Amino acid sequence: MAEGTTLLAVGAMFLALVLAGVLARRAGVSVIPLYIVAGIGVGEVATGAAGASGTLAEVATMVPQPDSEFVALGAELGIVFLLFFLGLEFSVERLLASRDRLLSAGALDLAVNFPVGVAIGLVAGWSLVEAFVLGGVVYISSSAVITKSLIDLGWIANAESEPMLGTLVFEDLAIALYLAILSAVVLGGGDLASAAQGVGVAGGFLLVLVAGVVKGEALFARYLAVDSNELFVLRAVAVATLVGGIALELGVSEAVAAFFVGMGFSSTRHLEALERLLAPIRDVFAAVFFFYIGLTTQLELVGAVVGLLAVAVVLTTLSKFASGYLTGRRVYGLDQRRSVRVAAGLVTRGEFSLIIAALVAGASSPVLAETIPAFAVGYVLVMSVLGTLAMQYADRIADVIPGAT
Amino acid sequence: MTVYESDLPGVGKKFEVELDGEARLVIVIHNTGKRELFLRESEDADAEKLFGLSDRLARQVGTIMEGAYFQPIRTDSIETVLSDDTLIEWTKVQADSPLVGKTLAETRLRQELGVSVVAIQRGGETIENPGADTEILAEDTLVVLGSSEACRQLDGVVSGDVDG
Repeated sequence: MAEGTTLLAVGAMFLALVLAGVLARRAGVSVIPLYIVAGIGVGEVATGAAGASGTLAEVATMVPQPDSEFVALGAELGIVFLLFFLGLEFSVERLLASRDRLLSAGALDLAVNFPVGVAIGLVAGWSLVEAFVLGGVVYISSSAVITKSLIDLGWIANAESEPMLGTLVFEDLAIALYLAILSAVVLGGGDLASAAQGVGVAGGFLLVLVAGVVKGEALFARYLAVDSNELFVLRAVAVATLVGGIALELGVSEAVAAFFVGMGFSSTRHLEALERLLAPIRDVFAAVFFFYIGLTTQLELVGAVVGLLAVAVVLTTLSKFASGYLTGRRVYGLDQRRSVRVAAGLVTRGEFSLIIAALVAGASSPVLAETIPAFAVGYVLVMSVLGTLAMQYADRIADVIPGAT
Repeated sequence: MTVYESDLPGVGKKFEVELDGEARLVIVIHNTGKRELFLRESEDADAEKLFGLSDRLARQVGTIMEGAYFQPIRTDSIETVLSDDTLIEWTKVQADSPLVGKTLAETRLRQELGVSVVAIQRGGETIENPGADTEILAEDTLVVLGSSEACRQLDGVVSGDVDG
């Protein structure tokens, strides 16, 4: 399809997302896997019907195509807004206020789960960089799904919410640093000289952003001080997308840039207004991001990594469960039942695993460009459903596990 | 009464209010403005969700709970905080208070304590903006405006614990 994406195709995309949402509600699972499935379904219709004739071919021209620039751009906005919110909700003061337990919880989580992913990659015969990417994909839990489930199950008012949210706060910082390193290593590319130059430019840009976050609070606050919701939203969106765009031009991940912009705004008094007014925009574009991930997924590539997937699902479910249980039990001193809930709750992987995969999809190595994105889609589909189920049955799991006291 | 406040990153804030015994009222305020109320019977128990309220409804309920429309207890003094140090206080005049039988001018409350009597509730009626010659009777409820320190001194005077 050479011509651009039509309004009809965009409408079809949102209709598919609406249906996915309805199904998710019915089945009592997170919307994320179903948004992805909706994308996969539409992608299959678009490509599968290319050779066909008649009605099917007619339909295929009406839906978004996998190479649609519009959907890709919408997905990019989804990444920017997801990370912008992560930055908004990230507070250094909070990290420092409860640093003892939070850092122990976060370090435990990182030290257990990240190496498992790296090891799986190395055993599969991948390079160190490729294994490093896999480590990130399997390490990071899904803040969006886990937080939502905490609220839905009413755990938010219980003691187990603290270690879970604490671990997620640490992971948020870890993922920002990780993406910064990854984009320098992977996107830098080319020969050594240009890579070094790229890293230099990227590092300089990030330094400017960090300085802006540290010193620019008054500036950020004044920028948003406007007595109109419309102008307020526009100003916030403008700076998030513009800084993200500049970052991308300079070879820095737009996700990291958006994270820092969000962090810059987080210490201003506009925090609550930002969260309230921008959340709907984030949700729309995040849905487009998940749709895009599904749309560009080639099922035969996912099929080729089924063995690897099975190994990773088993090992990383167990490792996350172990680190979560220890966090609850040892670091936060919870009882056995609540520690099992922490363990079950952190199993879900989601948006960040996909963001990592999307970041490396442009690389030249076939593992990074094809295998890991396909792996990430299959992995997130399984882990998001498995994680939600684990949370629902956490108390029964706790009955089975002997209560070591 | 102790209120515990904690952050819920990505969700909002949580407040736990100690009730009788081990029970706690848990209030979760979402960033979206939504409020959720839970009751936890004991430390080990799971919090049971009582109900959720929208931002607007929660404010309305909060105002009712505070007693802005109806003050059921008139024997104790009740106060509403206006700013850091300024209160509106409802306080009942006891029969043995030195204020009984004096006019507002004679009590010299404004000059000596720095509180202004903005209304007097007597039986079912309310005397708004009482004049300087308004006499204070036993069982009157004075509605006064003043600093928290002044209001505390006034409590001693109306109850008759100290000499006016």
